[in-house]
Amino acid sequence: MRLPKLTRPTARTPRLIRTSLPGFALRGPRTIGPGSVSSLLKIALDVAYVLLIVITAALLLALVAAIFIPLSDIDITVTGDDGGLQQPLTRSLLLFGLGALSAWFGGFLMILRNLRMIFRSLTQGDPFQPENVRRLRQIGLTLAVVTAGVWVAQGMVAARLAPGVMDPQGIGELLTPIFSVLVVFVLAEVFREGARLRRESELTI
Amino acid sequence: MAIRIQLDRMLVERRMSLTELADRVGVTLANLSILKTGKARAIRFSTLDALCRELDCQPGDLLAYEPGPQGSGDSDDA
Repeated sequence: MRLPKLTRPTARTPRLIRTSLPGFALRGPRTIGPGSVSSLLKIALDVAYVLLIVITAALLLALVAAIFIPLSDIDITVTGDDGGLQQPLTRSLLLFGLGALSAWFGGFLMILRNLRMIFRSLTQGDPFQPENVRRLRQIGLTLAVVTAGVWVAQGMVAARLAPGVMDPQGIGELLTPIFSVLVVFVLAEVFREGARLRRESELTI
Repeated sequence: MAIRIQLDRMLVERRMSLTELADRVGVTLANLSILKTGKARAIRFSTLDALCRELDCQPGDLLAYEPGPQGSGDSDDA
């Protein structure tokens, strides 16, 4: 019995078949390039960025106002499971609160700014630009600083403002943020390798 | 890089311009200039094939090795 002859695979690479809808191939929505998922995400990031700018600016204005405008002491109540704790709202406490919030929003503003730039390059369909390595490293660094700042600020609040009411934070809470920061740094190195390969392929004629 | 592409000589001998060769080979003029000036990191067999076909020569006619200071390929990556 003769076996059927196998057809030889053609040397041509299979072309991606696209449907008539822009940005959607048969295998699902396109993730990078113009009119893709990343351009949708970029729009969302743009909106969030503008919102964060407004919030940060308002907080900074409030901070400046709190420095110059005297305020009458208002009591704030820190509530916990076993009752509340009265604390006078002093100027230093207000400045600390506003400063910490401004720094927190400012940090996320920096992260969003870099993310927007990265997503812009994804929208252009060129993810391995050398600048993206620097942007990702900046995101990782900012994330690390913001996380450490939040951890320290939480500790200060737990120790000074609400002793006994708020549980002091442990090292265990830092595990997830540290993991995220490390993942971002590893991603930055992946992008560095991608940028190197991109350059290599650009110089291959 | 100690490998030289002798495109200039081949073009003069055949009285062909770089633009014409780029058209025939199907490579952009910018890429062919990179190849000619020795800035290229690598050459595809398909490009070499097209160059040899259009210039009617052997790969050895295009490529030459000139011993010199050893330049590492990744030195200019940083």
